[in-house]
Amino acid sequence: MITAYVRLEVRRTLRDTSFVVFGIGMPVLMYLLFTNIGSGADTGDWKTSSMVAMAAYGALGAALGTGTGVAEDKGIGWLRQLRVTPMTPRQVVIGRALTGSVTVLPAVAAVLAAGASVNGIRLEAWQWAAVALVLWLGALPFTLLGIGNGYRLTAQTTGLVNVGCGLGLSIVGGLWFPAELFPHWLRSLSDFTPTRRFAELGQSLAAGGAPGPAAVAVLAVWALLFAAYAVLSYRRSARTV
Amino acid sequence: MRICRGARPLRNVVGMTQTTPAAPQPRTARPPREEPAIRFRHAAKSFGAVRAVAGIDLDVRRGEAVALLGRNGAGKSTTISLLLGLEEPDAGSVRLFGETPERAVRAGRVGAVLQEGRAVPRITVCELIGFVARTHPAPMPVAEALELAGLTELAGRRIDRLSGGQAQRVRFAVALAGNPELIVLDEPTAALDVEARRAFWESMRGYARRGNTVLFSTHYLEEADAHADRIVVVDSGRIVADGTGEQLRRAAGGSLVSVDLAGRPTEGLGELPGVVCVEVRGDRARLRTEDPDATVVALAGLGAVRGIEVTAPSLDDAFLALTGSRPSRPADTIPAGSPR
Repeated sequence: MITAYVRLEVRRTLRDTSFVVFGIGMPVLMYLLFTNIGSGADTGDWKTSSMVAMAAYGALGAALGTGTGVAEDKGIGWLRQLRVTPMTPRQVVIGRALTGSVTVLPAVAAVLAAGASVNGIRLEAWQWAAVALVLWLGALPFTLLGIGNGYRLTAQTTGLVNVGCGLGLSIVGGLWFPAELFPHWLRSLSDFTPTRRFAELGQSLAAGGAPGPAAVAVLAVWALLFAAYAVLSYRRSARTV
Repeated sequence: MRICRGARPLRNVVGMTQTTPAAPQPRTARPPREEPAIRFRHAAKSFGAVRAVAGIDLDVRRGEAVALLGRNGAGKSTTISLLLGLEEPDAGSVRLFGETPERAVRAGRVGAVLQEGRAVPRITVCELIGFVARTHPAPMPVAEALELAGLTELAGRRIDRLSGGQAQRVRFAVALAGNPELIVLDEPTAALDVEARRAFWESMRGYARRGNTVLFSTHYLEEADAHADRIVVVDSGRIVADGTGEQLRRAAGGSLVSVDLAGRPTEGLGELPGVVCVEVRGDRARLRTEDPDATVVALAGLGAVRGIEVTAPSLDDAFLALTGSRPSRPADTIPAGSPR
């Protein structure tokens, strides 16, 4: 039942032109621009770490977009119609979270592919696999944040709030420009963002190391917070949509 | 001058519905049981200070087609929300096939067309119906649901690119896809033109003929009269009348028989069979009657037939009499022969 629902929602997401353009095309474009314009000699590391950061940015956008979809479905009465099918609200929200996980993949894959083909990045096979895997699984907290917004807010507000969350977390989390370039105070702040730690998971793997315990710990705390937020929002509105 | 007999409680009308024709045979896959398809017991629901449903008692037998008739804001949609388990009653209970609405919905026994539904974007008709069918334990084949809703030609089209009438048929197919025993439609034809409306009711009849139970809400009287075995009139969150169209006409005061008195005294006219109310204007008596045939025969027996005229009240009259001027009166005190 959930599989059928996930298949339906994934189809709907991938047919959304704005998702394909902004969710997949944009991170690729930004990655290629940022790593090929005004670049100095020593850009190998930057190309790799930016690749992971931009893949994380793409994953973040897709994950939050899931929540925007929830708010839209609430607005058009689709969630209400689902309540008169044998699916339980809980199955619907789980299905949505799984949909988020699936739609994160093309964004991640597209940026990694651009890194390998256009920027000529060479990693071990296990590194590619591990980077893709952590970016995929690590996007779950952001899916939960998006779903929390989607259940709580109207379609329009959710769109704005999710774009706002996405931009803020991307910039402060150093996904666009490395946090090393930030002033000291912003850098300290950046260390506490989930996005910074999310990208760090992949960046350590791409550099041949293992993710640090601090990265995992910070991301786990955020995951718990966002999960609680999603559960609260869902409890508040899943039965009244 | 006006003399009316005492109020006749409308409960009589409710009682008469027990004798409506027997339901078609239920499908063999699901053997018939004792529980009615729908049972409301003193169900009430308020939103803040608004009593949307103010105590409803209603039984719908399996195989019946019932119209929930009322003006906007009468409580129809809230009644349907209670019925589908979308809202919990504040008091009383709602049971579908003897189970809670939630359980009946989970078991796939109920399908619904909700009022506030817009097209789901970016999927085709076939994908949507296929999905809904897969969420049900014993769905009907997708092709059959499409056929029944008149969508076979449109199976590959995207729903957000259909016309209003076509989109409404999609919503009907969504309700059918799980092969439910009960289908609930909240103002299913509100947005349809005449042609689309006709096609829609044809599809619904096809579904009802299989022995399924249908409940729809409408504010179109003709629609209720034409497509339901039984009309339940809702006003201010209460059931104010329940019966066939014919019974409602009678409940609203019945037919009017007028006759020239030709100097005849008016005593005894009120005692004639069927008569509930006598009104004299000049030399003409107007008798409101529940049984115009018997009244006419009796008048003929008295030799009072000059200028005799029988007028049947329209269902519109009945509806206005039942709801219009007395928005908050409880069901059992509305007199059958009360003046409009």
